[in-house]
Parts: sequence; C-alpha cells; structure tokens
Amino acid sequence: MKKIEKRAALCLVLAGFLAAGLALFLFRFAADGSHWASSPFNRHLYNSEGALISGTVLDRNGDMLSTVQDGKRVYTNGKTRRKATLHVVGDPYGNISTGALSAFAQELTGYTLLGGAYGAEKGSDLYLTIDAGLNETAYEALNGKKGTVAVYNYKTGEVLCLVSAPSYDPRSIPQDLETNEKYEGAYLNRFLSSTFPPGSVFKTVTLAAALEQLPDLEERTWTCEGSAQIGGGMVTCTAAHGEQTISEALANSCNVVFGQLAAELGGDTLNRYVEKAGLTDSYSVSGISTAKGSFDLKGVADNDLAWAGVGQYHDSVNPCSLMVYMGAIANGGKAAVPCLIQKVDRPGLPDLPQFTRSTGRLLNRETADKIADMMVNNVSAAYGTKRFPDMDLGAKSGTAQVGADQKPHAWFAGFLRDEEHPYAFVVLVENGGSGAEVAGTVASKVLKAAVQ
Amino acid sequence: MDQILAPAQEGMDRLLELLGRHSQAAEWYTALVRFLFPVLALLILTRAIRGLLRVPHAAECWGQLALPGGGSIPILHWENILGRSPSADVRLDLPTVSRQHAALLRDDRGLWKVTDLGSKGGTLVNGRPVTEPIPIRMGDSLSVGGVELLFLPLSREEEEELAARRRGERPLSMWPSLLWLTLFQVLAAVQLTLSREKPNVLCPLVFLALSLVMWLYCLILRGAGVKGFEMETIAFFLSTLSLAVTGSSAPGAMVKQLAAVVLGLVLMVALGVWMRDTARIQKMRWLMAALALGLLSVTLVIGRTKFGAANWIILGPFSFQPSEVAKICYIFAGAAGLERLFQKRNLGLFMVMTGACLLCLALMSDFGTACIFFATFLVIAYLRSGDFATLSLVCGGALFAGVLVLHFKPYILRRFASWGHAWEAASTTGYQQTRAMSAAASGGLVGVGAGRGWLYKLPAADTDLVFGMLCEEWGLLIAVLAVLSILTLAVFAARSCRVGRSAFPTIAACAAGSLLVVQTGLNVFGAMDLLPLTGVTFPFLSNGGSAMMASWGLLAFLKATDTREGASFAIRRVKNGKKEASGHEED
Repeated sequence: MKKIEKRAALCLVLAGFLAAGLALFLFRFAADGSHWASSPFNRHLYNSEGALISGTVLDRNGDMLSTVQDGKRVYTNGKTRRKATLHVVGDPYGNISTGALSAFAQELTGYTLLGGAYGAEKGSDLYLTIDAGLNETAYEALNGKKGTVAVYNYKTGEVLCLVSAPSYDPRSIPQDLETNEKYEGAYLNRFLSSTFPPGSVFKTVTLAAALEQLPDLEERTWTCEGSAQIGGGMVTCTAAHGEQTISEALANSCNVVFGQLAAELGGDTLNRYVEKAGLTDSYSVSGISTAKGSFDLKGVADNDLAWAGVGQYHDSVNPCSLMVYMGAIANGGKAAVPCLIQKVDRPGLPDLPQFTRSTGRLLNRETADKIADMMVNNVSAAYGTKRFPDMDLGAKSGTAQVGADQKPHAWFAGFLRDEEHPYAFVVLVENGGSGAEVAGTVASKVLKAAVQ
Repeated sequence: MDQILAPAQEGMDRLLELLGRHSQAAEWYTALVRFLFPVLALLILTRAIRGLLRVPHAAECWGQLALPGGGSIPILHWENILGRSPSADVRLDLPTVSRQHAALLRDDRGLWKVTDLGSKGGTLVNGRPVTEPIPIRMGDSLSVGGVELLFLPLSREEEEELAARRRGERPLSMWPSLLWLTLFQVLAAVQLTLSREKPNVLCPLVFLALSLVMWLYCLILRGAGVKGFEMETIAFFLSTLSLAVTGSSAPGAMVKQLAAVVLGLVLMVALGVWMRDTARIQKMRWLMAALALGLLSVTLVIGRTKFGAANWIILGPFSFQPSEVAKICYIFAGAAGLERLFQKRNLGLFMVMTGACLLCLALMSDFGTACIFFATFLVIAYLRSGDFATLSLVCGGALFAGVLVLHFKPYILRRFASWGHAWEAASTTGYQQTRAMSAAASGGLVGVGAGRGWLYKLPAADTDLVFGMLCEEWGLLIAVLAVLSILTLAVFAARSCRVGRSAFPTIAACAAGSLLVVQTGLNVFGAMDLLPLTGVTFPFLSNGGSAMMASWGLLAFLKATDTREGASFAIRRVKNGKKEASGHEED
C-alpha cells in the first residue's frame, strides 16, 4: 500500500496541472480580459450591428456628439460637426480605434474587468475635453486637405481641438470609403497615430541643443549665401539670407545656419536632445498611446546630419509629441500630458476627478524661455502679427519636403503665452505647400476662434 | 403533466404579475443576489473542501506484528507488503529479508492470509513454509527470512486509544453547508424565474425537487449512521449550478437534468454499497471490461453524430452517451487488488483493453474522451506497476499513433488548428472559444446574473463552453470555486492512499479523481483556448444526462476510499475485535 501511496503522486501531479492551468487562465483573464470583452460580438456591450450599446459622448460644453436612441447608435446633427469630431468620437464599428467609442468604451458602458458588464445597458455620459465648435472651425480651415489640427492647454492637458482629415460622415458612410484614394487613411487619427517628416519646425530642437552646448551662440553671426557645402554635399536655402544672428536665422528658417549647427553639435548630442524633448517617446493620452517619432542621427555623414538638423533626412515626428514640446517651450520646460476625457458621469455614482499629469523636463527653463522669445519674434519678423491679432504668439513653420513629385507638407506649430489661454497647437497640412502660408492660415483661423 | 402543473403555473404567473407592477423589483433582486451567490458558494465549499483536505487522518489498525526483541509494527491496511524495501508496509530492515518478501492480506470476513512473494529467505507460518497463500490467525507466529514475528491483535488499551483518536477526527458536519446550499438553490430559482420572459413554473419546482432530494439523501444516510457528506455537498453544489445553467440555456431540459441527478445518486449509492464486498469486485472486473468495450463498440456501430463526435445513441425519445458510462466500467476493470500487482506483466491485458477503447473513441472522432481514457490509463497503469519505462514507451507509442492519424487524416488537425490563435480565427474555427472568452470576461467577479447572459444562445454553450457561461452568469469567483472543488476531490483521492484499506479502491479513487481533473481541465482550458477545444463536459456541471450520471457514479469510487470513522456508506464498518473473533469461529 505504501508503494501505491507514493505512486499516487501522479494524481497530485495532474491536479497540479489543473491548478497551474487555472492560474494561467486567471493571469490571461487579468491581462487580456478587457480585450476579450470588447469584441463587437459581445452582446453585453455591443448591439447586433457591432456598435456600442450605451454611453453618450459629449463635448466640453455638454453638446451631444453621439448617443444611443432606441437601441441604435446615433450622432449629432450637422454634417460638418460629425465629420470634424469623427476621429475623437469614433465610428460605430470600431474601425477608428482611437475614437472614444472604441478607446473609451469601458468608460462609456461602465464595464470593468472585475465588475463585469452588469448594468452596461445604462451607460455613462462621457464629456470630452474638445470643443466641437472649434473642431468645426479647424475642419473647415483644412478645406478638404489631408492633415491634422490640434490645440491643447499646456497647463491642464485638456485637448480643446483635435481634427484629423480625411474624415467622413458616420451617419452615411461613403460606399467607396475603403477604395477611394481621397479617403486614404480615414480611419487613422493623424494627430495620435501617425508620424511625418517635421521639416523646419524641428529647428526648435536643434536650437535647444545649440543654446546649451555652444555658449557663444548668441554672439555669433552667420552669412547665408543661399547654400553651403557641409560634409560631402550641399545644404540649400530658399533664398540667400545674408548676415544674421541666431534669432534672425530662426525667423528666416535658414537651413545653412541650422545645418552647420547640427554638424557642429554632432549626431550623438542632437540625438540626446531629441530624446529629451520627448519626440521619440509615446504619450498616453487618456490611455491612448501615441505613435513614437524616429530619428536617424547617430553615426551618419555630416551632410545627412545637417539635413536631419533642419528636419529632413530620415526625421519623422508625431504631431502630438511636437505639440507637447511646444507647450513645454511656453511653460518653462515642462507641460501637461494631453488628455481627452473631461469627466465621466455615471448614473448613481460620483464623478471621478481627472488628474493632470505633467511630462518630465523636456527643456531647461532658461533654454525654454530663450526659444520662446525667439519664436515670438518669428511671428513679428516673418509670419505677421496681423494674422494673429491680440495674441502673444510664438510659432515656427515648417515646409517638409516629401519627394520630388509631391508638394511639401506644411507645418505650423507654437503656443500662446497667455494666462487665460495657455494653448499650444500644431497644424499639419499634407502636401499643403508653404508652412507659414498654408498651415499658418489654418492656425490663424483656429486660434482666433479658440481665444474668443 | 401540463394539467397537473397548470394551477401552479397560474399561481406563479399571478405572483409575477403582482411583482411586475414594481418593475424595479427584479432589477434590485439581481443587483443584490449576484453578490450574495459567491458568498454562499464560499460558505458552502470552504467547509467541504476543508473537511476533505484534513485527510490523511489516523489510519485504521487491524493488528500488529510483535518483534522478537520487543516492540511491534502495526498493521494499517488490509493488504500489506512485508520486506526490506523502504516502501514496504511492514519494514524489516535485515539482510536476510528480501525487498518484497511476503504479503499479508485480509478479506472481508476478517480472515488473514500470507503469501510469499518469491523471497530468498523463505516465509514460515507456525513453522510451516509458505508456498501458496495460507491462512494465518491472531496468535500465530510468522517467520520472515528468519525474523520471528508474532501476529497479534491490538491490545484493549491501544484499540481504545485509536478509537478515541479516530472519533476526534470525525468528518466535519455538513449541515451548515447544506443549509446555505438550500438558500442558494432558492435564490437561484427565483433569479432564473425573474430573468425569463415567460417563466415556467417547472424551473422553481425543479430546484425545489433537488433540494428535497438532497435533504432526503443526507437525512436517510445520517439515519443509517453515515457522517461524511463533503463530497456529496460538492456534487450537489455543482449539480445546482448545472440546473441553473440548463435553466438558462435549455429550460426544457431541466427536468431531464434533475432526473439524471437522481439516477446518478442512485447509481453512486448502488455502486458504493456493492463495492463493500471485495470478493464481488474481483469477479465483476471481467464483466466490467466487457461492458466498457461493449458500450463503446455498440456506439461505434449505431452511434449518431452530435457536435462533431459520433458518440450518441438515440433510442426513441432518449439519447445518451455510452462513453460516459464506459468511464466507470473502465476504471472498475482497470483498478486491481494488491495480489495481482505482483504477477509479472500484469498490465498486458489492460493495455489491450485500453487500446481497443481508444480505437473505438478515435473512430467516433471523440478525441476529448480518448484523451480522458488515456490519462486515466496512465494513472491506473502507473499505480499498478510503478513502471516508468514502460509507460514512457506507451506515451511515445501514443504520440506516434497520434502523429500517424493526423498524417493520414489531416482534416482532424483542422479542428484544432485555431488552438492558441482563437482570436485570429474568431469567425471560423475560433468562433466558440472567442465567444466563450468574451462572455467570460463580461461577467466580472460576480457575474451578470443567472439567465442574463448571451452565451447560452450558442450551441454547446451549456456543455463544452459551460465554463464560459459560468463565468458570465455566475462570475469568476464561482467558476474558480467550481474548478477548485473538483481539484479537491483528486487531492483527497491521492492523499487518502496512506490510510486506504486495500489497493482496489485506492487505485480506483485515484483513477476517478484524475479522470475528473483531466476532464475539467480539457473542458475549461478548451473553452478558454489554452488547450484545443475537444468538446468534453465539465463533471457535474455540464448539461447532459449521461455525463451527470457518470460523474455521480465516479464519486462512488472516491466514497469507497474514505476510511474515516463512519464517514462513508461505501466502506464496510468493522468492529476490530469482534470481527476477528467471528473469523475464528467460522474457521
């Protein structure tokens, strides 16, 4: 009998397998359970069309953007409003994964892993930080071009305006959505999930490195003859800018000066400042991870490095991280991490407070203040204060070359130094042409509406 | 039937109508009881699980062997090995004693026998050499390899001391658990009734009947002096959940499911009482082997296909799965007494029988059950032989055969193709798993409430995917508790070996425990995509008459190994001294 007792360990081993399997299941349940539940076929959370069963999305002013009526998901009235808010609200079928209906499905239905889907049909009111009216203004300002516009409060993190184009009307989804070239990337929120070559807006990063690494920078002057030999090739400007200080070079967006600075600083140094600026990191915007930018700066030839220093070569940046960097310049080196949820109203439960999170130090305080002053100077010297009336605006334009047969991407990014309106913004118009003109005009319209 | 129930139905409808005026009542009820159920489950099960895990307890003692230099060795089993080996039950660590020298065996009537196990030094009873099994009585002298032993009963004091100790280890009283379980059943019946669009009065009546059956069973057995009800508590709890799950997915099948519980209960008691007689067991083993094979081969010939496996026999309005009953027969035929274990190649016939069973199951495409049989085979074979090498060879052979089958019938592989990648094939081969997982994750810790899920609309939701349903409607806590209680049964079986009387019930209990564990594993992990979905049932819990009966039947093997004082109806109660005395008289 003792023999059998020893052999019965096999029975315990099998029981051990069951226990281990159960532990593994619990682990996977904890890790992936929310994903399992958020499948469109889960009738606790989605209706038979695969649309979220409950929950109302509102903008910061309490205007309804999407809700459920008679078991069907419906959107706000106004075609432009629907299109302008599509990427923050999300489509009914979860194709826009960063939209509130997908990304904040748990907040909308009240589903939690431990509490389950009980009572999900009641739904919550989710107030977004965005202002739907401002989104409309931005969407119209883009005028049918692809691109993105975003404005946020760099002190609280609230994103006031977030538009991504191309967009479409979720009430009458175009038949050719997935085939027509004009809707290419319509499911993508360009602000959160894409990266683009930054062009000259990147000079603000090269400038930060130069200000700290080259003590005599502000005493130096450069003479631009329209082009210069750097390393094994040429770096060219749009015009010969003549003799200029660093501040003038930024306002002129002089490639020759910034190319030389990049080469002088070296790839490793520049790379350090890019990483410090948060451009290679992913931010968590109310739980949505943004795309990481990528830069190829280490161990490249001087000429390539010079082009990289002016935002060309292999540089690619995520608009959101660029906007946060702008906020940090205005805010003394740190800014709030953007967020999209203002509050969640759950029937019968108190509102949970939303906390503002801050980024790490993206710039030293003095450096930030110097760059901010120079960017304010850009507006008066280059972009024109008339376009931005009554605004203490600092900005940098960018015209990023994307290929010989395409118009360049137009960028305009910056901030307001205004206690009442501490906003940072970014505008990108794909293949829009000149940054200062095209993207600057969009920014002008949006900022005017924002500070009203 | 309908006519008898009509007044009851009318009464309930009127009651519900009254409730309907307070539309929030049902909502509030669910909101409250969904938190109550896990608490009740904990109250019910912790007691039962705690009771079972207190094993091993003080063993029964049947006599002693007095040593020449003073002192004695107690005899704790009905089947004992005497020898030098550390695994001998009576260890005599002397060079003249063989590793496994002799066996000392007791039968139901209390008669002892000595068998020599081919020792070098020889065995003598009262000076007579043992060549074939010869009887030995209390007071006889026994010489093992030259060591002179005296076979004696326990002294009066020793006996009383042991009896006192064993009385102190009486099974935990299950009355509190049963009371909680009754409350659970009542609340569940109300919850299910309220969650239905058109509630049928049968639903609460079936729960009521289950309560009655449970109390009747426990009271009658308690009246007969049986004190241990932990396993039955677990089984009744799981059966309650089974009724609840069935009430959600197939309300029409609830009566059938209740009938299966009752039949299973009867089967368990019959099997348990019947197994008290060891002589009967030996005679029946051949019959059981034939029955297992017969059931499977008959199914092979006239079986019908449901959900992919051709393992159903349909006779008029009744359909059942003979492979479920075959499990009981198989264990019965496979487990063996200690005597047989010393015969060389004692596994040969058993292997042949297993092979035949597996072939039948494979031909039915019932790979889940084949897996269960194979795992059970390994447990029985290892317990019988301890032969790791042969079993490794068998495993290798099985693996090879499996590969061969897949090579010639590649379509079988397709059924399991989505294993581990269910989400990538969510609309094809991973359909069931992804739905089950999604529904499971929707339940949270306490579930959305019985009858308020959606997984039950899927085919096989209450059988293969029942774990998903359990998580969804009853919550993760209860689902985990259900698995843990099955686990407890296996642990109990393994640990009670130490205090088992003889080899047959011990091996059978380990086999039954392992079978339940493997089956639970295949069911749970199949539905949750940790293993291929093979379509086996969750013991006691899945909707299915044959499976329910088989689960209760298997419980008989576990009951037969519970040697705590007066704990189990399947254990013959023996008053030590008296029985011995009568043995003398008869002789």
